[in-house]
Amino acid sequence: MVSPSRLHLPRAPARPGEAPDFSYLELSPAGAVGRPEVTAKARDIAPLALELVRVLDDRHDAVGPWHPHLDPGELQIGLRHMLLTRLYDERMQRTQRAGKISFYIRSLGEEAVSVAQCMALRPGDMLFPGYRNQGLHIARGLSLVDLMCQLLSNTRDMCKGRQLPVMYHSAAGRLFTISGNLATQFPQAVGWAMAAAIKGEDHIAATWIGEGSSAEADFHHALLFASVYQAPVLLNVVNNQWAISTFQANAGGEQRSFAARGPGYGIAGIRVDGNDFLAVHAVTQWAAERARTGSGPTLIELVTYRAAAHSTSDDPTRYRAKDDYLHWPLGDPIERLKQHLIKLGEWSEERHVAMTAELDAMIAASWKEAVTYGTLSDGPRLNPDLMFEDVFKEMPQHLQRQRALMRAEKG
Amino acid sequence: MAQMNMIQALNSAMDAMLQADPSVILMGEDIGYFGGVFRATEGLQRKHGEHRVIDTPIAEGAIIGAAIGMAVGGLRPVAEIQFADYIYPGFDQIVSELARLRYRSAGDFFAPVTIRTPCGGGIRGGQTHSQSPEGIFTHVSGIKVIMPSNPFDAKGLLITAIEDDDPVVFFEPKRLYNGPFDGDPNKAAIPWSTHPKGEVPEGIYRVPFGKADIVRSGSQVTIITYGTMVFVATLAAASLGVDAEIIDLRSLVPLDVDTICSSVKKTGRCVVAHEATRFSGFGAEILAIVQEECFWDLEAPIQRVAGWDTPYPHAFEWEYFPGPARVGAAIKAAMDPA
Amino acid sequence: MSAPGEYVFKMPDLGEGTVEAEIVRWYAKPGDLVAEDQAIVEVMTDKASVEVPAPVSGRVLAITGSAGDKVAVGSALIVFQLLESADQASAAVPRAAPATQAAPAAQAAPAAQAAADAAGAAGAAAEFGTSSAVPAGGSAKRVMTSPANRRRAREAGVSLHTLVGSGPRGRILQSDIAAVIGDPASPEPRSSEPRSSDPQTTEIKVIGLRRLIAERMSEAKRTIPHFAYVEEVDVTELESLRSHLNAQHASAAAPLTYLPLVVLALARTLRAFPQCNVRYDAERGVLVRHLSVHVGIATQTPDGLKVPVVRDAGSRSVWDLAEAIRAVTDRARANKSSREELSGSTITVTSLGKLGGIVSTPVINAPEVAIIGLNKAVERPVVLHGAIAIRRIMNLSSSFDHRFVDGHDAAAMIQRLKAYLEHPASIFIADPTRGEA
Repeated sequence: MVSPSRLHLPRAPARPGEAPDFSYLELSPAGAVGRPEVTAKARDIAPLALELVRVLDDRHDAVGPWHPHLDPGELQIGLRHMLLTRLYDERMQRTQRAGKISFYIRSLGEEAVSVAQCMALRPGDMLFPGYRNQGLHIARGLSLVDLMCQLLSNTRDMCKGRQLPVMYHSAAGRLFTISGNLATQFPQAVGWAMAAAIKGEDHIAATWIGEGSSAEADFHHALLFASVYQAPVLLNVVNNQWAISTFQANAGGEQRSFAARGPGYGIAGIRVDGNDFLAVHAVTQWAAERARTGSGPTLIELVTYRAAAHSTSDDPTRYRAKDDYLHWPLGDPIERLKQHLIKLGEWSEERHVAMTAELDAMIAASWKEAVTYGTLSDGPRLNPDLMFEDVFKEMPQHLQRQRALMRAEKG
Repeated sequence: MAQMNMIQALNSAMDAMLQADPSVILMGEDIGYFGGVFRATEGLQRKHGEHRVIDTPIAEGAIIGAAIGMAVGGLRPVAEIQFADYIYPGFDQIVSELARLRYRSAGDFFAPVTIRTPCGGGIRGGQTHSQSPEGIFTHVSGIKVIMPSNPFDAKGLLITAIEDDDPVVFFEPKRLYNGPFDGDPNKAAIPWSTHPKGEVPEGIYRVPFGKADIVRSGSQVTIITYGTMVFVATLAAASLGVDAEIIDLRSLVPLDVDTICSSVKKTGRCVVAHEATRFSGFGAEILAIVQEECFWDLEAPIQRVAGWDTPYPHAFEWEYFPGPARVGAAIKAAMDPA
Repeated sequence: MSAPGEYVFKMPDLGEGTVEAEIVRWYAKPGDLVAEDQAIVEVMTDKASVEVPAPVSGRVLAITGSAGDKVAVGSALIVFQLLESADQASAAVPRAAPATQAAPAAQAAPAAQAAADAAGAAGAAAEFGTSSAVPAGGSAKRVMTSPANRRRAREAGVSLHTLVGSGPRGRILQSDIAAVIGDPASPEPRSSEPRSSDPQTTEIKVIGLRRLIAERMSEAKRTIPHFAYVEEVDVTELESLRSHLNAQHASAAAPLTYLPLVVLALARTLRAFPQCNVRYDAERGVLVRHLSVHVGIATQTPDGLKVPVVRDAGSRSVWDLAEAIRAVTDRARANKSSREELSGSTITVTSLGKLGGIVSTPVINAPEVAIIGLNKAVERPVVLHGAIAIRRIMNLSSSFDHRFVDGHDAAAMIQRLKAYLEHPASIFIADPTRGEA
């Protein structure tokens, strides 16, 4: 008899052709989780990392101690930002398929994560996003034209042609430059927060990675430094269940929640329904206040679902059940907030349709303007001389020579 | 002016900068309370406070990642990596992030981080305390790479590094911390107190990047070198009675190509010497440049002196270390090729 | 000043103190594609005709001079349009066998010019077939030298292929190039006479072969302590043999003179007197003794005295020698000698035949140590076996280098030669004391 291997190999719950299966998810009922004081010690609130903070229940009512009691106007703004993010994503996805941009990453289903968190933070707080957090850029009011020009790498590209599409940044908007390397932003955000503390400012830093990236050393480095120095930072792990084709169990989510790594390092860890605008806002606001008042960093795991492909280079039907998103137990963030607002009498389907049309028109107009600054195939192009600038503050001799050689090459 | 050894000179640089610029902070393992395993930061935490001179966990990747964040946040961090042999966990943050921030954000973000680290052998430190990895960093666009050979240069270059808005990896040849070393282990150690380059101004002064130092003018052969090999080469040339022009690069990136080429065009003969391993070492880059720029002036093939292509051994320190004999053989070959 | 992509090839210094060369024949004309090393022009120096190889691959843009014109060394000879390396491979004109002019004939090398000295030693080696001067690597086309030297040679218009390297493995050193370029300050030879338009006088420039002869003669006389030894030789028997042989072989190419017989006898003699079959290497302070006897035959040509060489005289038959002597002297007179032919002798024989006089004091052909002169052969009354007889007598007037040949040895050698000549059969009989068959 062949003895079975003692090595455990994590598996995805459902593969293509199989029925979607989310029974592995550990959920708490809406409103069931308590809300500790902002000043609570991390070691006393460890169980928070295993529960799931929810405010909106399945009937779109806001319940429980985490209810943020936000102004309806605020919620409408949130809805608008989320919808704009989604519509922008859809339009840019189509644009990529039409060959007008080379690459795109959507955040379908994760709009609340970025938008709600951003709205719970202050404009002076420094954000260190990953590449699926475009809701932050939209919520911080970055011009769509500017974002599109970055996708086009055209003459108005904020990155001057140096970066892949979606790697935005904004110094004024306090949005750090996005890296193609995973998790590098985590310890950088901790350092920024340490600097704010050293300088005695009450700005905090917030940063985002996917659960898959939490396997990287930088994740652990960040938690260690955040803990040792009690840096005023929000460390967000967006658990959207998938890292390209790799299920979250492979990043360690099977044995323990990602939030639970927080208490492991001696910092607060909290797990929240990432598709619940109100819950996300509430948890973020709680963690931000902790950081600002010297109660230290928080590891926030946002439980959500990557509804679309990893990027325009990916096809998820090859590794997960088709339409599984429709079975996601925690619903859709835009739909849920919309229904909640309607229930409050503060929104309507008609207004939603109208807003959709308005935002679509705005996106279309922005695209029309963006392409005047150049496209992949025609219009003005960036000067390749730019390739040699910003390597250093001053261009050194050897780069001046290389630039001359490049110019000669082109004739 | 004061006589200082290299450690004192580095300490003096950091002290002066902590004093002059409130955004300067130091961070690293054992550097705060203890003053650093080589005493380079001795007394600085006591003088400037725990918030300015910070002890860190043993996590080189975190040290550099956090330093980047601090720099983006407006500070000017000087991070110590205890031995260059341990810099690799931080390599991703250096290469993928630090070196590229300015470029990928079109100048909207940059991180003026200085990374200081002791390097080099001659101390019987084996393979985890003797490496010279400068050639790995010179290959990455976007970082400056510096290696002083004496206290005067060390202080002036470190101040320049801290003030520079570009990231700098600052290598300190540990064998030279206390005195010059010419490669002969049987000689009594000479302290910096008797050496002219041990005379160091007290205040702030700068030694510019991109400018090599002609340590000795000569007409017969050009020796291009840096770090401990500056002294080894000086001894080798003197022993042979060769009138060598000895150039201490001290700044690898940016590189002083003009001084190198003027010298080789004058002498027609060239020896390149470094402690680091030979294959793909920084010396290969210098050779390539000399060949490109000075080909028609070369009387003989360019010679290269380096460490052997093995991990740095413990028991064979003096067979490994490129001493005066190896440099001497190279000088002879450059003077009279077979 | 050449334009970019152009190369101006200047008349190279072919050694031997040439200051100018006469164009004999062009092998290419403007518009032709030539490959590096391909013979491009034949020029005549004082000593020999030389084929000059193209220093680069390219297209000929312009040439200076036509056949018969003299071109000064260092002046522009050919302008090339340089080709890309791809074109080199497809250069239309096939490579001619390159002239092996690696070593200027040391035999004719003037002692006055430092130019030839450096090449001379190596040249000597090349003459005897041991090509230590040929660069390593097998290919005679590749020249080994440092980049700096290539630049120096290029700037001076010196073709590296015309040089012999004295460095390791035949590498050309800076000194080799400097030697060829020579002292830039050395003045043109000029007459110390004031220039005049006096119709009674004619000015003849001392250049070319005349200058060469003048220098070599001065040098030889200046450095070698000559001593003369004259002996009369009864060549009656020799004459008898000669006449007989000529009568027997009337159909042979040409009648024998004394010369081949004397040369053969000399070769036999030198076996016992190796110290007279020697070339002196002054630079190294070494006397190089040769086993073979290479005899220089002093020859009067329309241009002046030349000394072509018959190699390995001792192993040839009389007829072979006669033919060889005639061939080399004919070529010398016709100015068709190759450089090898004009160098490498270990001893020289000089004969003015009927003009020979009774005694002469020939000048040694440096770096040899002996020269044998044949005076006129006349009938004289001599005392033979106590009675007056009429015998044919020819004097041998020889000069020796007294540094290296003592009087006794010189005398003994001439006596031996005399013995052979007076008893010609002995020339052809093996000497049992020397273990010969």
